[in-house]
Amino acid sequence: MLRLFFFELYKLFRLRSVALGLVFAFLLPFLWALAPGLKEVYGLVLASGWQVVSLSLLAGMEFLFPFLVVMAASESLGSEVAQGTLKTLLLRPLPRSLLLLSKLLAVLLYPFVLLAASFLGSLLAGLPHGFGPFFGGTGLGEGGFAGTGLLTPGEALGELLRAHLLAGAVLVPLAALALLYGTLFLSTTASALAAVATLLLMRLLVAFPALTPFLLTTYLDLHLRPQAAGLGLSLLLIYTLGFAFLAALLFERKDL
Amino acid sequence: MSKRYGRKPVLERVSLTVAPGEVYALAGPNGSGKTTLIRLVTGLAFPTEGRAILLGEDVHKNPAARRHLGAVVEAPAAFYPYLTGRENLHLQAYLAGVREEGRIGEVLARLKLLAVADQKVGSYSLGQRQRLGLAAAILHRPKVLILDEPTSGLDPEGVELVHGLLKELSQEGVAVLLSTHHLQEVSQYAHKVGILGGGRLLDEVALSGREVYRLEAHPLEGALALLKTLPQVAQARLQGGAILFEGNPEAALKALLAEGYRVKALHAERFDLRSYYQERVKHA
Repeated sequence: MLRLFFFELYKLFRLRSVALGLVFAFLLPFLWALAPGLKEVYGLVLASGWQVVSLSLLAGMEFLFPFLVVMAASESLGSEVAQGTLKTLLLRPLPRSLLLLSKLLAVLLYPFVLLAASFLGSLLAGLPHGFGPFFGGTGLGEGGFAGTGLLTPGEALGELLRAHLLAGAVLVPLAALALLYGTLFLSTTASALAAVATLLLMRLLVAFPALTPFLLTTYLDLHLRPQAAGLGLSLLLIYTLGFAFLAALLFERKDL
Repeated sequence: MSKRYGRKPVLERVSLTVAPGEVYALAGPNGSGKTTLIRLVTGLAFPTEGRAILLGEDVHKNPAARRHLGAVVEAPAAFYPYLTGRENLHLQAYLAGVREEGRIGEVLARLKLLAVADQKVGSYSLGQRQRLGLAAAILHRPKVLILDEPTSGLDPEGVELVHGLLKELSQEGVAVLLSTHHLQEVSQYAHKVGILGGGRLLDEVALSGREVYRLEAHPLEGALALLKTLPQVAQARLQGGAILFEGNPEAALKALLAEGYRVKALHAERFDLRSYYQERVKHA
């Protein structure tokens, strides 16, 4: 099982969407660090390298990171179907659920690797601004980017690590959702499109206030609201398990 | 087994058995259901009705039943293009539970792939990929081999290599089920041919030990009708101004002469599978 998981991980990082995603996540912070119009557009003057890290996270979590995760999860199954290797794998005496579980674990790890690449790129891009104590905020804690006074590097790092971990947890059910659609459509494009469409539709359900606390999309900004982590993380876990279970159920009887 | 997609039947009540050491060739025009049948018996697709039993185990209920199965279900066989041929086989060996050192080199040599074994599969020709597929299929010494168009995309040397290997494996006791359009080549060593048409198994032709007789008689239609009534005669049919039949030629001749038919010629002939197939499919 472990070997199968490592092989799935290896295959995942060979995917074009994953390689491109990691490059974008790594390079995006340099754009923010060098952007001349930050003050005019966002009213923000970078006071510290830590703000480059948080800015990259906030910008990435708007659309890019969820999209990259959905694409990678969709392609992890879709590419195997397209090149015919899924059949080759299933001809072996291997339970389908085990194969899907290995794929699932690999795609669930990807959001954290993506965020780590963004974090690393941000640290490098933020170097010119320095990482010492500064007056202001990370944009993730109290007072936003203006902050509430002097922020020490330890406090800033803590806020950023927590936000990145929560962002990773937010992206996990999206990966599971894309894999579920992957098993249904056996196509990269169709499953990525269906996952994105599902999220957009779910966002529209805010018109039903009774449903709002239970919607996956309600917690897509959990990295900004760590106080909601208790219920949020539990729901994200339930969504992930639910999507994974449905994917396994579908895949078990899927004609190939 | 039967298979339907929605209301559309793709296979209807197809039932066949392949014994150890037997080569069973599936023939049929495009769209007759050969590939669907192969996907069903390998467990890749699920039948609407019926079961696929592999050495006593239901292949759909118990994935472990596939431990005895070697299969290539696509032409050319699919591999990870960024891995070398040898690396792809290492992966297959792991999944099939092969721990025998040297087995990979052995199958690569058998399929004449040693020279390209350490090149990425992405750079392989169609024929090399097809041969690598067969190498992967026999890697774990399967007892059952299922192949969809195993000679598709191969040069004449490759075709000969594959047919030789299949013949050898069947002599070792492996049950081989393959789909093909190359009836003449397969008829050299296949034991049975199943003719599929419109999703049905139209006919099963046993080739081993089969003797066919060619009869020229007058009037031809009457002679054919008479032969069809004889219990000693099987599979009598018209072909090119003569009657081809199997069974006892002496009993047939005696009956024809007794009924006053003029017999011009009667001799043994090699069974022409291709003509038989064409006629069978035409009349389906």
